[in-house]
Amino acid sequence: MNPIPGMLRAAGAMAFYDRRQEVAANNMANVNTAAFKADRISAARPSDMTEPIPVEATDFGQGPLRTTARPLDLALEGQGFLVVDTPNGERLSRGGSLTLDGTGQLVVEPGIPVLGERGPIVVTGSGVTIEADGTVLSEGKVLDRLRLVQLTEGAVVVKEGNGRFRLDRGEWEPAAELHARQGQLEEANIDSVNGMIQLVEIQRAYGAAATTLKTMDGVLAAITSDLARV
Amino acid sequence: MNPALRTSASGMIAQQRMIDVIANNLANVNTTGFKRSRVAFEDVLYETLQGEALVNYQSSDTVAPVQVGKGVRVADVLRFHQQGSLQETGRPLDLAIEGDGFFQVQRPDGGKAYTRDGSFTLSNTGALVTAGGYLVQPSITVPPDAVEVSISPNGIVSVQSGDAAATPVEVGRVELARFANPTGLESLGENLYRETVASGQATTGQPQEQGFGRIMQGSLEASNVEIVVEMTDMIAAQRAYEINAKAIRATDDMMQATRDLVR
Repeated sequence: MNPIPGMLRAAGAMAFYDRRQEVAANNMANVNTAAFKADRISAARPSDMTEPIPVEATDFGQGPLRTTARPLDLALEGQGFLVVDTPNGERLSRGGSLTLDGTGQLVVEPGIPVLGERGPIVVTGSGVTIEADGTVLSEGKVLDRLRLVQLTEGAVVVKEGNGRFRLDRGEWEPAAELHARQGQLEEANIDSVNGMIQLVEIQRAYGAAATTLKTMDGVLAAITSDLARV
Repeated sequence: MNPALRTSASGMIAQQRMIDVIANNLANVNTTGFKRSRVAFEDVLYETLQGEALVNYQSSDTVAPVQVGKGVRVADVLRFHQQGSLQETGRPLDLAIEGDGFFQVQRPDGGKAYTRDGSFTLSNTGALVTAGGYLVQPSITVPPDAVEVSISPNGIVSVQSGDAAATPVEVGRVELARFANPTGLESLGENLYRETVASGQATTGQPQEQGFGRIMQGSLEASNVEIVVEMTDMIAAQRAYEINAKAIRATDDMMQATRDLVR
């Protein structure tokens, strides 16, 4: 027997909102994560397809800056990233709470150094100053300049967790309008109010799809149990 | 189980941890030389559910991969080693460091520990010890007939003996230690810290030399906890906790709607 085609669509809609709920839950879990970029899932129907497919986009919009006065807190203002070196290759980061490791190397976490134009940055003196253009100084002496980059047109990055991004397609180039802000943190670009609205929206849409499915099931039930009685 | 539930639970656990740290900061608002901590969060693994897809063969349109994150975790608890304000006590053996550096003390197991808490006293042999009774290193002994102890900003300890006309005698000098990464020090409680691989090795030196701070006799360094900052952080953590709890509720409602499909 052919099920009513609408039933499959309603089930598809429920699966879609399930997915959205997972993404919304992840956004909300990270509402206090420095430099977190919210993900949004929407549905798109490409011209040559009959069913919509989920499309995900990371919102790279600027998060609000918060002053912490901790000298190694680093926020970025503008579009672009810092480059960090991981065992799996170079990755992109929006900054956060940096630390120095035991050898004085500037790291985002142990073993993952922040890269300057001449490689990892080792802070020798006491105190670090990072200027808006990314110049790193210690005791008045220029150590290096942070590699500030932006994505070229059409480049795609994917999230790797730990606040890092991996280049999936395209390339990066030196950033044009990107400023380093020392002693500040970029907050997540999602807030609780928007989060609540999303939750309600997803829940209602899911409920509506479930009701649709139930109604169609009712129709099927009527057909099978009532019409079949000869 | 619905993965969104676990994601939201990770959010609640993380915010709980933030509240724990804030509570400890607030509890130590009057602890001498206490340095506040802050939790740093980071997002965790992302699951790629649908790779980058070619959706239109003719014009080769592609859509980005669909990735779903699995929540949040505590990346680090960072200690803020900013200077606390100096409080004058007038007690001669209260020392505060204005600037960079830690006092060095000897732990009972022989290892060294470091502290910013300079509320020192004398042991029964006249040695300079911390409030917890640990020997200050290098050891400084005040003779029993001393009537006055003075400690200069560069750490020189001199005593005036019983005879009021006698010239003060130098009995030792306070030495300070500093680290490439003080945030990496391990807290031992009792206001003491221990050197770790992350902190780097201690560099010792004299106060007021090579960038070390100066010693202020008769003062103590207050905790650098600012109640207003902690309160606002607490509100942020509480709101985030609530919204994650709401997300769990919403996911549960969705699961309920699914269960209701079955007659």
